[in-house]
Amino acid sequence: MAEAVVVTGIGVISPLNPDGDRERFWASLCAGETGVGQIRSFDASAYPCRVAAEVDRGALREAGAEIEPALNMAEAAFHLALEHAGTRAHGGDPGRAGVIVGTVLGGTHRAERYLRAKKTDADEMAKGLDQYPLRAIAAHLARSVGFSGPVLTVSTACASGTDAIGIGYRKIASGSADVIVAGGADAICEFSFSGFCALKVLTPDTVRPFSRNRRGLALGEGAAFLVLERETTAAHRGAAPLGRIAGYASRSDAVHLTAPHREGRGLAAAAVAALRDGECRPDEIEYVSAHGTGTLYNDWMETKAIRVSLGDHARAVPISSVKGALGHPFGAAGAMEAAVCLLAIRDGIVPPTVNFEERDPECDLDYVPNVARRMSVRTALSISAGFGGQNAALLIRGVA
Amino acid sequence: MTLPVRLSGIGISSSTDKGPRVVGAGSRLATALSVLPQGGSPVRLFHPIEEMALLAAYDALSVAGVPLPVGGDGIGIALGVDEGIDGIKARYYQGVLSDGPLGASPMAFPFTTPNTIAARISILLDLRGESLTVCGGNLSGAQAIGLAMETLREGRSDGVLAGGATSVEQEFLDALCHVRRPDGGQPRGGACLLFLEPQVSAGKADGMAALIGYAEGFGKDDIRDAIQCCLEDASLFPEQIGSVRVASVRDSCLLSEALRQVGVNTPIVRSPASNLYSTSFPAAVAEAVAPSANGTPGAILVVGTDCLAGASAALIQVGGRQ
Repeated sequence: MAEAVVVTGIGVISPLNPDGDRERFWASLCAGETGVGQIRSFDASAYPCRVAAEVDRGALREAGAEIEPALNMAEAAFHLALEHAGTRAHGGDPGRAGVIVGTVLGGTHRAERYLRAKKTDADEMAKGLDQYPLRAIAAHLARSVGFSGPVLTVSTACASGTDAIGIGYRKIASGSADVIVAGGADAICEFSFSGFCALKVLTPDTVRPFSRNRRGLALGEGAAFLVLERETTAAHRGAAPLGRIAGYASRSDAVHLTAPHREGRGLAAAAVAALRDGECRPDEIEYVSAHGTGTLYNDWMETKAIRVSLGDHARAVPISSVKGALGHPFGAAGAMEAAVCLLAIRDGIVPPTVNFEERDPECDLDYVPNVARRMSVRTALSISAGFGGQNAALLIRGVA
Repeated sequence: MTLPVRLSGIGISSSTDKGPRVVGAGSRLATALSVLPQGGSPVRLFHPIEEMALLAAYDALSVAGVPLPVGGDGIGIALGVDEGIDGIKARYYQGVLSDGPLGASPMAFPFTTPNTIAARISILLDLRGESLTVCGGNLSGAQAIGLAMETLREGRSDGVLAGGATSVEQEFLDALCHVRRPDGGQPRGGACLLFLEPQVSAGKADGMAALIGYAEGFGKDDIRDAIQCCLEDASLFPEQIGSVRVASVRDSCLLSEALRQVGVNTPIVRSPASNLYSTSFPAAVAEAVAPSANGTPGAILVVGTDCLAGASAALIQVGGRQ
């Protein structure tokens, strides 16, 4: 019999809360604030688009110049999640506690520095290069708390954070772990900015998910982690669960490297499979946290996928995207959005889709435009999509 | 006891020519692609790692008797890719450093994300099931096999292509030298994919072998923990191990000590593919079940370690021999 998997801790570092204040993150999202602004972390003056949602790295706890920014943010969010769960380190068998990190770029800042210095400064080249491999984040976090169970790095483009949590959920549900801290982390760098700029998917001004006049996405950055535990383990130590991960699925579009399937085939299949995994009817879903990047094709595709997966109920369910507030933090996106679902369930409030200015006839669902909505949320669906036709969905329920 | 997983197809491919190219008529890959939805139209390959991975995937599915193109979402992929894209990333960013925004290639950029290789396989073979890419250094391929086994044991998939793809390029070798971990080898590449199915649903063929246990370890006693947990996963005693095959090892003494502590006292064979990083573990599994492998009775233990993550993995498999 599968073990129930509860969430007992949330840690988030985002442009809205660089200090890690979780309640400020949530209040800012619900107030419709945005972290998108002019890029400060590198000189973007040569690029046609110059906005992103950056974390004020000076405000990071224990900020260190020699720590790779994604690792720095991951470390902060990871420990905040453990603190929130009421434990700095797992008190049980460390062999049954693990870390799963979703990341796309890992320590690419270090690779940038290495390549920049290659021709000029041999000593500078190797500094911190050991923080470059994608797996360095998970390894560092696990070592820092002595976890010796599953330590994995998942890289499934913009679905990485969702897949990391989903895999963690499965490991606990199947009985192969008691505690998994799962989430994602990524930091903005010129490497990724230049690529998305070349693909012409970046907005020149602001992010307007699902709005007819949307012009593209803005890069974001940050880290988010959830502490997942066996329900019995959490109960044994008296922890108060914030909710349950009740279902998960991943599916591939199998059509294109950078463009989504026009009808949202893979995302719909992932959502349907996650509902089936959680034995959940479509009409039980009371909130959908959308991927909602603000690109033309994603928002069309996603609307169709929600219609297919939820059927007639799609028109009744509130859907919102936090990308207008947070930008797109790649590997951290799915983890931040899972945190949003849990906080929506906790407080009975759904955050808005900011910058929603004009209805798109092909995006005809309820996107909670601009103003948060008070309502009871017991069951939420968080969906993610990414390059390579990656799709993932998490079913999140409140605790009775 | 947890359910075994059936290994019913293996595909192995090694590095060929370099650079972008269009697959020409008569090539092995063109033959493979002719059965696919593209109908044999030219497929532009950006990097040799795509060709290696595609050939390995095609062979594994063909050997398993899976009709191509696959279609539907019953079959997925779990791929370990770590260092395989470092050369692409380095060349992409060197373009930006040289020419600014104009040097950013929209063709190259999508290939800088690790999941691109799994995506290319999914697109060309029409695999719409789960798609997971893991990055665990030398253990990437092992971790992919582990995820596939979990998925199959829980009945979430009809089959999974699992394994690793590697492209060791000069940029990667240079970087290793700068962090004082010289590889000592030449640029090389390879891919190895296994087609795994749930034991119960594979009645159409006997399969090549059964994967009966898998585990990972991390930290101080990672190798010992992985072997011990793997034995428990398979419900085997140490004396039931017939041989040990080493996929990659950071310290031979630690491995020997871990085996001694667990009580495994059998011959150790070092895999010739141990220098293939993400591919090393699945390649060692493939070697172990090959007809030419030493037919020692008993289960075969495959062990791999990674120097950076400090983790290790172990897998036990048995073929027709007992």
